[in-house]
Amino acid sequence: MNQRATIAGLALAAAVSGAWGGPEDHAPPAVAPVLRDTFEVGAIGQRIESASEGDVIRLEPGVYRERVRIGKRVTIDGGGRAVIDGGGTGDIVEITAAGAVLRGVTIRNTGTDLDRENAGLRVLAGGVTVEGVVLEDVLFGIDLREAPGCVVRGCRIGGKALDIARRGDGLRLWRSDGALIEGTTIHDGRDAILWYSKGVVIRGNRSDDCRYGFHLMFSDDVLIEGNTLTGNSVGAYLMYSTGVVIRGNRFIRNRGPSGYGIGLKETDRFEVTDNLIVGNRSGVYIDGSPFTGAAPGVFTRNTIAYNDVGVTFLPSAKGNEMTLNNFIGNIEQVSVSGRGGLTANRFWVGEVGNFWSDYTGYDRDGDGVGDFVHESSTFFENLMDRHPRLRLFMFSPAQQAVEFVARAVPAVRPEPKFEDEVPRMRPVAIGLVERAEGSSAWRMAGVSGLMLAGGVLVLAWSMGGAGRPRGGEA
Amino acid sequence: MISIRGVSKSFGRFLAVDGVNLEIPEGESVALWGLNGAGKTTLIRCVLGLVRYRGAITVAGWDARRHGKRARMHVGYVPQELGFYDELGVARAVLFFASLKGVSVRSVDDTLGAVGLEGHGGKRVRELSGGMKQRLALAIAMLGDPPVLVLDEVTASLDACGRREFVALLSGLSGTGRTLLFASHRVEEVRALAGRVVMMERGRAVSEVPAAGFTGAAAVAPGGSVVGAVGAVGAVGGGGSGAVLHLMMPLGVRLHAAAQLRAGGFEATLNGVGLLVPVHRERKAEPFQILAEARIRVEDFEVLPTAGEEAR
Amino acid sequence: MSTLTGSRWAGMAEPGRGSRRPPGFAGNVVTVARREARDAVTSRWFVLYTAAFAGLGLAVSFVSAAGSGGTGLSGYGRTTAGLVNLVLLVVPLMALTAGASSVASDRERGMLPYLLAQPVSRGEVLLGKYFGLALALAASMCLGLGVCAAVLAWKGHVTRPASLAWLLGLSTALALGMLSVGMLISVVARRASVAVGTAVFAWLVLVFVSDLGLMAGAITLRLRIEELFMLSLINPLQVFKMWSLYAADASLDVLGPAGLYATEELGRTLHAVFAGCLAAWAVVPMLAAAVVMSRRSPL
Repeated sequence: MNQRATIAGLALAAAVSGAWGGPEDHAPPAVAPVLRDTFEVGAIGQRIESASEGDVIRLEPGVYRERVRIGKRVTIDGGGRAVIDGGGTGDIVEITAAGAVLRGVTIRNTGTDLDRENAGLRVLAGGVTVEGVVLEDVLFGIDLREAPGCVVRGCRIGGKALDIARRGDGLRLWRSDGALIEGTTIHDGRDAILWYSKGVVIRGNRSDDCRYGFHLMFSDDVLIEGNTLTGNSVGAYLMYSTGVVIRGNRFIRNRGPSGYGIGLKETDRFEVTDNLIVGNRSGVYIDGSPFTGAAPGVFTRNTIAYNDVGVTFLPSAKGNEMTLNNFIGNIEQVSVSGRGGLTANRFWVGEVGNFWSDYTGYDRDGDGVGDFVHESSTFFENLMDRHPRLRLFMFSPAQQAVEFVARAVPAVRPEPKFEDEVPRMRPVAIGLVERAEGSSAWRMAGVSGLMLAGGVLVLAWSMGGAGRPRGGEA
Repeated sequence: MISIRGVSKSFGRFLAVDGVNLEIPEGESVALWGLNGAGKTTLIRCVLGLVRYRGAITVAGWDARRHGKRARMHVGYVPQELGFYDELGVARAVLFFASLKGVSVRSVDDTLGAVGLEGHGGKRVRELSGGMKQRLALAIAMLGDPPVLVLDEVTASLDACGRREFVALLSGLSGTGRTLLFASHRVEEVRALAGRVVMMERGRAVSEVPAAGFTGAAAVAPGGSVVGAVGAVGAVGGGGSGAVLHLMMPLGVRLHAAAQLRAGGFEATLNGVGLLVPVHRERKAEPFQILAEARIRVEDFEVLPTAGEEAR
Repeated sequence: MSTLTGSRWAGMAEPGRGSRRPPGFAGNVVTVARREARDAVTSRWFVLYTAAFAGLGLAVSFVSAAGSGGTGLSGYGRTTAGLVNLVLLVVPLMALTAGASSVASDRERGMLPYLLAQPVSRGEVLLGKYFGLALALAASMCLGLGVCAAVLAWKGHVTRPASLAWLLGLSTALALGMLSVGMLISVVARRASVAVGTAVFAWLVLVFVSDLGLMAGAITLRLRIEELFMLSLINPLQVFKMWSLYAADASLDVLGPAGLYATEELGRTLHAVFAGCLAAWAVVPMLAAAVVMSRRSPL
């Protein structure tokens, strides 16, 4: 734990220095939150003032231009048609009463002050339920500060159309243990981030076009399940956290500058199972995980397909076990970034291996396991690992020529990167796939029809016409 | 109609055409006479603007180089051999060139019929015989009824029969006010088609003679320059029982060949493309035998009737 | 058939001697293009290449679909990336050889002087041949890719239709550039066999040699990333490849540091950069070909 504390300290130091470059600099606020805005009391505020603990306040549909502080354990229900508009400055709603409920309102239009962390909804007490709340055009969306046991359910959080560096976090948990984040959609924000929050359940959410879909900092025993993370820079980025389970999520097309489906940095005791990881720049990125090596990093039944790199290992990644995963059509199935091998990680355990779409062997005895070892050793991959700039020549015939020659000349054949002694012949069944709709097959047929028509038109033009005189008969 | 002034053309160091001057008024028919390599074809290519040259050429007033397209608009051209898109249909070929010339063809069959190719429109060009190809080329040349016709050794690759037919076809064109410029080394053709003959040797136009009674016979001085045209060969042949062989061969062997023939008892006159040899009807083959024994190759020949024969 | 009279000639064609205006530039270009296109589409290479394009395209698509093990993930797949690779091999070869044999074989068979003896300019002939062959190539790719797409749609291997359209468009652009180079070779070469041989050599250089050289250079000379990217823009095949990837993903990050550099430095202007490069390959060799053609004897 000593080491861990050092890292936290370093992170804090980085925050003080004000740098904001990579995830390492992703600093917690150095001071505890203080509410600076004084709220004038508006229509909603008056109703809260006159309400008793436990009352349900139903808001009339309409736009309320006010700032709201919920200081009593009341339920505020906007019925889905009440809008609270912050007029483009400061925070909008703040909950300071434990057990309060906010439901069915739209909160919109915060300020853009990143230093003051203008938020649509700030929760400063535990046991608060936020349900069916829509946040639009907010710098920070929902900000839970030292608010344990809260529930955020069925919300929709949309960030401001700002440059990524000027955005706030769609969802932030600061020392808020035991929260449940469920059925919530976050789009165009910076991160949904957990700081020092234990035992959080993140289930069935969506995150589109954010920086980090879910970002865990020093947050232990978190369950991330059934979420869909699409088009973010990184799907889920776990840092310095222990006991995380990532199960049954979809990580699709997360292709930012880092661009991982799942990033694991010095994370310990984690399980990554049953996920669909497709079309990311790197499906999984493993840096210094598992951190202590007390338990192996478990990767099972994931489908890692059509990423630029299936799984990227930094040399510091040791003690991971990959079994029953489907590695399908990744440009590079497994990559080692920098020097070093993969010997400290296992791609088969006992009789259980993975499915590799590039496996070239066969299964004569019909036991579903390939008769030969799957060993990955392509010359060009090896070359690209050492000289990343050569990626420029991918998809070119020259690359294939190099590969071909290297295969024919064993002398230049690189050492196998890794081996799977029991490669599966067929993939493990995949859930979570959104099947292409039937209409797109029709659209494709339409395109093919157009192409054929174009070709035929040229044929007709060149063949016909001039063969016959315009006036008379040939 | 065609004006050629001081035209020269060299390929590397070889001077193919050397300062030729030639004026052809509208309606006149001019033959370029000379053996292969004399510069006839090159001069024609200059007129068509196919090669770059020094000097000036105009066709119907248009400069052949600067306004090549306009100049060629007035010209129908028949090459020695139709180098052609073999897979193209005959009718399609006609329409293709009509389109290039901006001529709309009312009936391809009539166009082909005019050269005796009616019913061949559906064939491919490669299916035509040599003579038919030349007739197709003539039909294409005549598209749009151009005022100038340029023919380059059009019968050279035809057999005797095809040659006769083609010349007959062409002779129908003379006297219609059309200007004709053609290259030939055959006396028959020149007599049939030309009004005037320009004799070419080594790229130069060495002399001009009227085509009437033309044999091309010329007395050549030892230096090689032409000193004057000799009269009709009929006089040489003498009597009505003979003919004149026109034997064509390269310049370098002609004097040697003439000496051999004289040694064998024949008269031999130089005529710019070869030798004119009067022979008795029964002894027509003998000169060939003599030349074969002397290992002199005859490139081509024709048998010209003497004046007496023609009269009969 | 014995003799002909002038009136018979005059009767079969119009106009007579009065008005003599040569057909315009465009008219002659279209005429030549049409004949050239017809010649091309009825030729063996057209059928062969079209069939090869469709067949190999299908093979590539099905191999990549088979690789996914029937997981239904083909929609995310890289069918188009496989096709890009195919285009890189086939289209330049097709366009280079088609262009190379055009003028050279005409000259060799003696057709060129006959054609140029007609009231056409050399520019018209050259441009007409270019457009005719370009149309034939485009038709070949339309048919090949169309058949490929039809079978894929029928079998349920769906690719984004837009990416297919991009692929077709970019392939055509690549073909225009390569055809232009082929035409230049054709005009310069003395014999058709030499022209085609040169075209195949040029193909080898563009497909393999230049990339391999650049790879070696990248490692041994320690080229900077921006230098590497700029150098790669010289090769039209690389441009085509990068453009295809960029059109599909709006990013070249797949291509590592150099791709990332290009995406970040140039952003949306990459489309213009790539278009400019391919346009230069289409225009410059043709201009050179026009100059050579106007100076050289067609014999």
